[in-house]
Amino acid sequence: MAGLSRRTLLTSAAAGLGAATLAAPSVVRAATDSATIGWNTDVPSWDPNQRFVPDAQSIFKAVYDQPLDQDPKLKLVPHLIKTWALAPDGLSLAVELRDDVAFHNGDKMTSADFRWTFFERIKAGHKIDIAQSWRKVTDIETPSATKAVMRFNSPAPTAPAWLAFLGSYMVPKAYMEKVGLEGFNAKPVGSGPYKLVEYQMNARIILERNEQYWGPKAPLKRITIEVIKDQTARVAAVQSGQVDLTAGVPVRETTRLGKLAGLAGELNPITRIILLQVRNDMGFADPNIRLAAHHAIDKAALSRAFYAGAAVPLSVPGVPGSPGYLEDFHFAYDPKLAMQLLAKSGYGPKKPARIRMATTNGTFASDYDIARAIVQMWKKVGIEAELEVIEYAKYFELNRGNKLPESTLYSFDNATGDPEIYAGYLLNPKLPFSPWKDPVFGEKVIALFNVADEKARIAGWRALNKEAVEIGACMPLLQSVQTLVRKKALDYTRYGNGWVLPQTMRWS
Amino acid sequence: MPLLTALGRRLLVVVPILAVVSMLLFTALRILPVDPAAMSVPPNATKAEIEVARRQMGLDRPLPEQYGIWLGHVLRGDFGRSIHLRRPVTELIGESLPATIELAACAMLVAGVLGLAGGLLLFALRDRAMEAVAETGTTLLMSIPEFLWALLFIFVFGVLLQAMPFTGRIDPALRLPLVTGFLLLDALLVGRPDILVSALQHMVLPATALGIAFAPPIMRVLRASLLDVYHEDYITQARLRGLSPARVLLAHALRNAALPTLTLMGVQFGFLFGGSLLVEVIYSYPGMGNLMVDAVRNADLPVIQAVGLTYCVVVLAINSVVDGLYLVLNPRLRAR
Amino acid sequence: MSRLPRWLRSGRVIAGLLVVGLILACALLAPLLAPHDPDEQNLLSTLLPASWQDGGDPAYWLGTDSLGRDVLSRLLFGARVAMTVALTASFGAMLIGAALAWLAGYLGGWTDWLIGRAVDVWMSFPPVILSLILMTGLGTGEQNVILAIILVDWTRFCRVLRAEVLVVARRDYVAAARLVGFSHWRTITREVVPATIPLLVTLLSLEMGIAVVVEAILSFVGLGVRPDQIAWGQAIADGREAIYQAPYSLLAPVAAIFITVAGFNLLGDGLRRTLDVRMVEGRE
Repeated sequence: MAGLSRRTLLTSAAAGLGAATLAAPSVVRAATDSATIGWNTDVPSWDPNQRFVPDAQSIFKAVYDQPLDQDPKLKLVPHLIKTWALAPDGLSLAVELRDDVAFHNGDKMTSADFRWTFFERIKAGHKIDIAQSWRKVTDIETPSATKAVMRFNSPAPTAPAWLAFLGSYMVPKAYMEKVGLEGFNAKPVGSGPYKLVEYQMNARIILERNEQYWGPKAPLKRITIEVIKDQTARVAAVQSGQVDLTAGVPVRETTRLGKLAGLAGELNPITRIILLQVRNDMGFADPNIRLAAHHAIDKAALSRAFYAGAAVPLSVPGVPGSPGYLEDFHFAYDPKLAMQLLAKSGYGPKKPARIRMATTNGTFASDYDIARAIVQMWKKVGIEAELEVIEYAKYFELNRGNKLPESTLYSFDNATGDPEIYAGYLLNPKLPFSPWKDPVFGEKVIALFNVADEKARIAGWRALNKEAVEIGACMPLLQSVQTLVRKKALDYTRYGNGWVLPQTMRWS
Repeated sequence: MPLLTALGRRLLVVVPILAVVSMLLFTALRILPVDPAAMSVPPNATKAEIEVARRQMGLDRPLPEQYGIWLGHVLRGDFGRSIHLRRPVTELIGESLPATIELAACAMLVAGVLGLAGGLLLFALRDRAMEAVAETGTTLLMSIPEFLWALLFIFVFGVLLQAMPFTGRIDPALRLPLVTGFLLLDALLVGRPDILVSALQHMVLPATALGIAFAPPIMRVLRASLLDVYHEDYITQARLRGLSPARVLLAHALRNAALPTLTLMGVQFGFLFGGSLLVEVIYSYPGMGNLMVDAVRNADLPVIQAVGLTYCVVVLAINSVVDGLYLVLNPRLRAR
Repeated sequence: MSRLPRWLRSGRVIAGLLVVGLILACALLAPLLAPHDPDEQNLLSTLLPASWQDGGDPAYWLGTDSLGRDVLSRLLFGARVAMTVALTASFGAMLIGAALAWLAGYLGGWTDWLIGRAVDVWMSFPPVILSLILMTGLGTGEQNVILAIILVDWTRFCRVLRAEVLVVARRDYVAAARLVGFSHWRTITREVVPATIPLLVTLLSLEMGIAVVVEAILSFVGLGVRPDQIAWGQAIADGREAIYQAPYSLLAPVAAIFITVAGFNLLGDGLRRTLDVRMVEGRE
């Protein structure tokens, strides 16, 4: 609390007196040169290739660089890679790297590091998640220190998108080979706008500006990230001024905190979607029941009740503005139609169709409430759903054993916005996400992974998105919102995928 | 010497109990409908990769052999790795056990002080009209379990008055000085009064919530013991000698009534230690209770086994210490 | 008219019986008393404060929860789970605990030793920890909560009762019964059991209060009754999230648990005094 009043005093003094800030320049500089962030998760490890954790990406992006980047509107933009060209057959990707990039230890970044990160590490059997995203890579040729060609065993049209996605961070070959994996974890070296200067697992990360950064320098010299896993504790921390910015607080708390003096609360729609993952058999074998279940859900009411109306109701698995989104396709909320569909199959409120539904509790904002609200909406039209609570980690284990219930409330993060990483992942029977195992539809999904032509590919996914919803294989609900509370004076750049990057933060 | 023999006998009881407990824990949790091997691999692993993990974890061997291997590791202080958190379980327990012991000890202090005050008050009210009211009061107090106190305190002191912090062990802006893991002690060791103050502030609500729930039985036993003691001859004599009532109470009666009260507090400490689980969850206090609840929700078998066993060891240790204290304080028993 | 038995003249017993009777009536008559369908959601009016507060709605006396359900109605229906668990679980624990105590105390020898050691092993687990571990294995559901409470709490009966049986079994009339040639069964049922009934009734009443608390604890951490069942522990877990907006959705179930447990404790306390039962003090 002392911190808040002191800082508000100082900043308001600075604003009110203008030139009079000269009175105590050193104090003001100390306050405006650093920021403290309350974040909900720690990095899974400092090896950025190792595990896919969406919430850790903002931290990784401060210390490491990705080959390609996304602008705030999620367009792919050059980063470590200056130019790139995907072959028409989709079987190779030629890239040209910058020649002015140095890692934090002074080593120059070259194509050897690129080959190491995306090919040699995987071949060496390192246990890293990017081994899955780059499994198509058969080799990476390095004709010069700045040029490289990735070769694939099947068309990889989303390879550029993946170069800016989860886990694709450039790591230094020479340093990693010298100190080993354990050594790297203990003293990580990247090429990003910040260097790691202090780390306490599950508690605190302290970053300091990389003064030799090749790109635009970060405005703030020092960033402290407090790992606060409990959302109530994050609320308390930002309210008392212990942290300057925090994300992932309950929606209602965000609205309440936003009304306090000196604080701003934001509900930002992001590329994460909330949907029901469904099975094609058991109680959902009958398409009438599936479609009735979908028509019975009042998505606008869910958004109003749990997201202050900020979450956009969805009809396809994709968010507005992303290439796979269909502006003119709406799946109606229509309980009467739902009852007619159920009646066709002989069900109704008196004789309900029985299914099961799984949900997480606390994995994302209001998940358990949304699930219980849907159960109630279904009950009104004649679908009796038995609800069970599962942990997020259990989803994959259950799906692998074919033991998921008919419907599961699920949230899926896709920072790229690419339709393949929405519908393609959510509905591909060969990937661990989809409980929909119908082989006919599955073939269509898998076939689209191999379309190299960009226009045909996007058109294909758009058609598939519509079909998936029309046959009841997919029940998109809402575009997720990121809740964020910050001191009004601390601004940052909003990204469509929810990144909150330390290098964009500045005091006003 | 008789004390040592008694403690030795106690050890003879404790070791077989622990053996049986560990066996029960191990078998009971192996029957669970979860597959630890499948849960330890990344989501996109293949069936073959799961089988490899199963062999690496030794889950393909017969149950008695698995138990033997596990016990061997445990005796060397190795509880395996957490499936969910991917860290050595021993490390997790090493971080959280001191926090829980600290909470339980502070709560016991609260319970003791409240119990003493309440017991004396009840005793002072004996044979008065207020007695029935006071006693009904203790019955009602006993009807509020620690987790309701915890919620009420959060509501009153955290939300309504906004006077007290109610999450975690320490202000997030301060860094934990990790020496022993006992935060209050560490703050003194490194000479940081700011940390000590913050840690104490964070301790007040959870320790009081836990302590206040265990105070009423102490009040009652103290009152009952005092009543018993007052029937004894030496009290009558002391009164006849003209000692002031306060002197009689404090110098003679209380000392003799202390034994049953202390015994009860020992028993209570074991219960209180288990009761800390809910208080930890409610206050996001990073101790064994939170570790346990997280592990249960994620079906993290190595952690559940280790935490379950640790709770048992602590409870048995407390009981043994109480038995020892009892022997020290009551020489008559030693003769037997 | 014969006079009322002594235990029915105790103020505590009467108060306890009244409270317990009231809660039981709420549970039985919940469908008649509840002003709303307890499952009916109103997503347009979530987290309403109580009717006398600013922004309250007279249709919802105690306000609504995060799904717009009536807090009062859910409170009344929640009494059903609480009372079912309290009554069945404590009877179950009593049956097992008492049966083993009678056997141990009466037969002595290795039976007593074995049962005594089993109690030791059980007692080395804090009860909350043991019930959590059991629920992990059993899975959620009302029956499993009852089963877990029985499996944890039979020792409370066994431990206290065994000491009492030891005393009773040594009494002259029991020895006499044995000498006359009564079978073990007959001696236990005719002589030993009746002598321990007062203690048993007292313990039973206290155990019911404990069962209410344990059910609430398990439901609170999400390991109790099924998610679609209405239980006070779940209401507390939901209400905790909305503590700033709708405090009554948290305070009402807290009060309900307190009142119910106090009822059972007053009853047990009154019985203990009037039936002159000696007992070790202690919680849990």
